[in-house]
Amino acid sequence: MTEDLFLELAPLQALGALDAEDRVRFEGHVGSCVACAAELRAHERVAAVIALGLPGVRPSPALRRRLIAGQGGQGSPAAAARAPLPWFGALAAAASLVLAVSLGVVRNQRDGARREAASARAEAERAVAALTAAERDLAEAQAFRALVQRGSSRIATLAGLSPALGAHARVVFDPATREAVLVASGLAPAPPSKTYEAWVIASGAPEPAGVFRPDAQGRAVLRLPLVEGTRAAKTFAVTLEPEAGSSAPTGPMVLAGAAS
Amino acid sequence: MDLAFPRRLSPMTVSRDVLQRLAAGDPAALAEFYDRYAPLVNAIALRILRAAADAEDVVQEVFLQAWRQADRFDPGRGTPEAWLCTIARTRSLDRLRRRSSRREDPEQVAPAPANAPRNVEALAVREALQGLSLDQRRALELAYYEGLTQTEIAARLDEPLGTIKTRIRTAMLRLREALGPLTP
Repeated sequence: MTEDLFLELAPLQALGALDAEDRVRFEGHVGSCVACAAELRAHERVAAVIALGLPGVRPSPALRRRLIAGQGGQGSPAAAARAPLPWFGALAAAASLVLAVSLGVVRNQRDGARREAASARAEAERAVAALTAAERDLAEAQAFRALVQRGSSRIATLAGLSPALGAHARVVFDPATREAVLVASGLAPAPPSKTYEAWVIASGAPEPAGVFRPDAQGRAVLRLPLVEGTRAAKTFAVTLEPEAGSSAPTGPMVLAGAAS
Repeated sequence: MDLAFPRRLSPMTVSRDVLQRLAAGDPAALAEFYDRYAPLVNAIALRILRAAADAEDVVQEVFLQAWRQADRFDPGRGTPEAWLCTIARTRSLDRLRRRSSRREDPEQVAPAPANAPRNVEALAVREALQGLSLDQRRALELAYYEGLTQTEIAARLDEPLGTIKTRIRTAMLRLREALGPLTP
């Protein structure tokens, strides 16, 4: 069997659809062939997500009770094997309590009442700020979910361009409301004094749609501003721009894809 | 201008955090993990087994396995959803084969009504599947959800084997292209 024929078997093998004879031959070959192994892995990844397209069906509440009540509260067996002995945990907890109390006493003696009041105020401000941020995050998360689930939403898949071939992104957008969210991954950190900028391209010039920085894992989720082009978007793109952002693209294009 | 969402809003990042807590033995993580994925796992088992009781047995097995092996999940190889899908499909097909060898034919349940997809990935997969021709999708689904081999599919559809091979291969290549590099 030639190399081409083996490569052609990879998608069928990934689905488990090869007949016994072909399967044995393919399995015998793939261990020593880098190209076929890579092709098989790529198709296995596709096969693994096919079922994601199914609408979810919640099982009966009885099953949940059985499973959670039967296993919960004991921690996972995987973790149990690694957990320290109970007495060690208790001892460590007692020791840290003693340490915390002593530190607290020392600090209280050192700090005056005024400083305590200031720190309580700062604490309260931090709590209010955290609460506000959490509320905003929640509202954004709900808006994002609503957009994904809306029937009128469309999706564009953006491929990484040289030199960001490993990058990948999707834009979910609703032409009617102009709402759009970009989800990118595999992005390198932007070079010093540069930033990533998103663009919406309809019939005219590209419209700037926000600058962003990927996180440490190279991922970014960006809610695009409501730009006019989203109503008739043909292409979404991302370029590298000077830190302040540009009003028209000047730098290299790193991601681009057509609206479906 | 900082419009970036907080990291935890990315669906895949969220799943991974739950999995880490699960592997660390956080009991609350089990309930959260189950609530998030049970509908997906159950949908796969139901699609393959078409019997609610059998499907729930599989859901239980899948979550016990995922729970025991959470610390072995390798994010480099795919998302937690993909990992669960693979376990759910394998276990459901095993049960389907055992059942048909015993010649049992359970009461069939009607397929679930289509509702909103869960997230961007689900939406992309659904669109990609809808982009296939009916013939391609039919052949792919017989392999995926009924565990048939290419020869069995050809017999079932009364088509030449070569046609079926090409159809499945083309379907997989089109999905791969439509979904882009599936990022872990």
